[in-house]
Amino acid sequence: MRKRALGAALVLATSVAQAQSPETLGWLRKMHQATQRLSYVGTFVYQNADRTETSRITRYAAEDIEKLEVMNGVPREIVRTRDKIRCYLPDSRVVKVDRRVDRDFPGLLPEQIAALGRHYDISLGETQRIAGLDCQTVVLQPKDNLRYGYRLYADLKSGMLMRADTVDAAGKSVETLMFTQFTPGNVTPDMVRPRHEGKKWRIEDTGAVPAHLVGWGLAAELPGFHKVTELKRRLGESRPVGQMVFSDGLAAVSVFIEPLESRPDRAATGLASMGAINIYTREVANHMITVVGEAPAVSVQRIADAVEFRRPTQ
Amino acid sequence: MKDRISVLMDGELDDRSAAQVIDALADWSQAGSQAGSEAAGEAREAWRTYHLISDALGKSRMLSEGFSERVAAALAAEPTVLAPRRLGGAREPRRWVALAAGVAAVSLVGWLGFAPREPVVQVAKAPAPVVPKEAKPALVALPSGTNDYLLAHQAFSPRMSLVGMAPYVRTVSEPAREARR
Repeated sequence: MRKRALGAALVLATSVAQAQSPETLGWLRKMHQATQRLSYVGTFVYQNADRTETSRITRYAAEDIEKLEVMNGVPREIVRTRDKIRCYLPDSRVVKVDRRVDRDFPGLLPEQIAALGRHYDISLGETQRIAGLDCQTVVLQPKDNLRYGYRLYADLKSGMLMRADTVDAAGKSVETLMFTQFTPGNVTPDMVRPRHEGKKWRIEDTGAVPAHLVGWGLAAELPGFHKVTELKRRLGESRPVGQMVFSDGLAAVSVFIEPLESRPDRAATGLASMGAINIYTREVANHMITVVGEAPAVSVQRIADAVEFRRPTQ
Repeated sequence: MKDRISVLMDGELDDRSAAQVIDALADWSQAGSQAGSEAAGEAREAWRTYHLISDALGKSRMLSEGFSERVAAALAAEPTVLAPRRLGGAREPRRWVALAAGVAAVSLVGWLGFAPREPVVQVAKAPAPVVPKEAKPALVALPSGTNDYLLAHQAFSPRMSLVGMAPYVRTVSEPAREARR
C-alpha cells in the first residue's frame, strides 16, 4: 500500500516536473517582474464576443502609479496608486474610490508561480509578433473544467506581457487583452494624473476593511480554489456587503453577501456573463449572494450553490 | 422542421445541427418569395410563432411588425459566421424553463439580427443581454451595479500582477447603464 502510494507520488511528481520546466516558470516570473519594473505608455484592445474596446494605459513605475483611460464609448478613467484605486465617471460625475486592501494580498509570487502547476500544465509555444515585438507564447492548460486556460504572449526582450487570451474548454478565446502599441520608458508623474479633478463630484468610497463574516462560508470548497481573503465594504452609494475571495493562484472568484433589505431591487436568480467573467446570483438566509469570477460558469455556480449560513453557536 | 426550430430555440441543438437549421432558415428566407416554397413559409411562421410565445412567457419587449423578415434577411446576409460562436462547444442536451428559453432565444435573435451594425448598443437594450457558453441555469441580465461588483472583485484577481491594470477595462465596460443610474 505504502509502496503504491510512493509510486503514485513519483508519477505525479514527474508529470508535474514535465509540465513546468524551469524555463517555462522563468517566463512567468519574467512577465511578472516586467509589469512591476517597467514604465510605459501603451494602447491596448479588450475583446470578447460582444464588444471591442480600446484603452490607453500609462504606468509610472517609480511611484507604482497606473492610469487607464477607455478611449471609446462613455469616457472613463481609472487611476491606481499604491494605496487607492479611483474610478472617474465624468458623465455621472462620480468618483468611485477603493482602498487597496489587496496590497496585503499576495500577487503572483514566485512560489505561487511554481504552485500553478497543480492546476495547469504550463508549456512554451511558438514565437509570435505582437505590436511590432517578437513574443514568446506561454500556454497554461487547465487540468480540469473548473478553470479557464490562458495563452500569454510576452516580449522576448523585456518579458512584458503583450497579449493575454483567456480560453474555454473548447480552446476558443472568450476574452483577449492585447497591446497594439507599446512604448517603454519616458513616463513623467504628470502623465499618470487623472484628467478630471473630480471636485464636487459625488464620491463613492467603498470603505473596504478586512473582516470576519461570522457564520458565512462554503459547504464545500471548489477543488483548487482556496479562500484568500474576507472583508466588508460598501457597494454603490452605501449598500454594505461582505466579500469572500477564493483563488487557485491565477483565477479568482468573489462571493458578495448583502442583506436583502438594503438592495434597491430584487436581483433575479441565475447566471449572467460578460467575456471571461461569470456572475451567479441567488438568495441564502435573507441575503443576496452574488458570485463574480473569471472562471467558467460551472465553477461560479458551484461556489454560489455551496454558500451557506450557519448560525454561530451560543 | 418545426420541431427542430423549437429545439434550436431551446438551445438544445449541438453546434452542427444548429448551424444546419439556421442555414436552412436563411436559405428559405432567400427563396421565400419564390414559388413552391411552402416549407419555407411554414418554417418562418413557426419561427415567428414560437418567438411570440416565448415573448409572451418572458414578458419581453414586443417585436415590431416584420421583425422576423428583417432578422431572416440579416441571417441570410451573415448566416454562418455568427451562430456557431454564440452557441459554444458540444454540450449535453439541457432543459431550460420556458422563460429562460424565451429570453435566450430573443437575445440570440437580437444579436444575430443587429450585431454586425451595432453590437454593444443592441446587447445593452436586449431583455437579457447575455447568452453564456455553458448555460444550464436560468440566464439573467447582468445585475444592477455590475460595475461595483467588478471593481470590488478585480483588485483581488491574482492575474493583475501579470497584466497590470488591463483587466480593469472590464470593470467599466457598461457605461450607459452606469451613467443612467
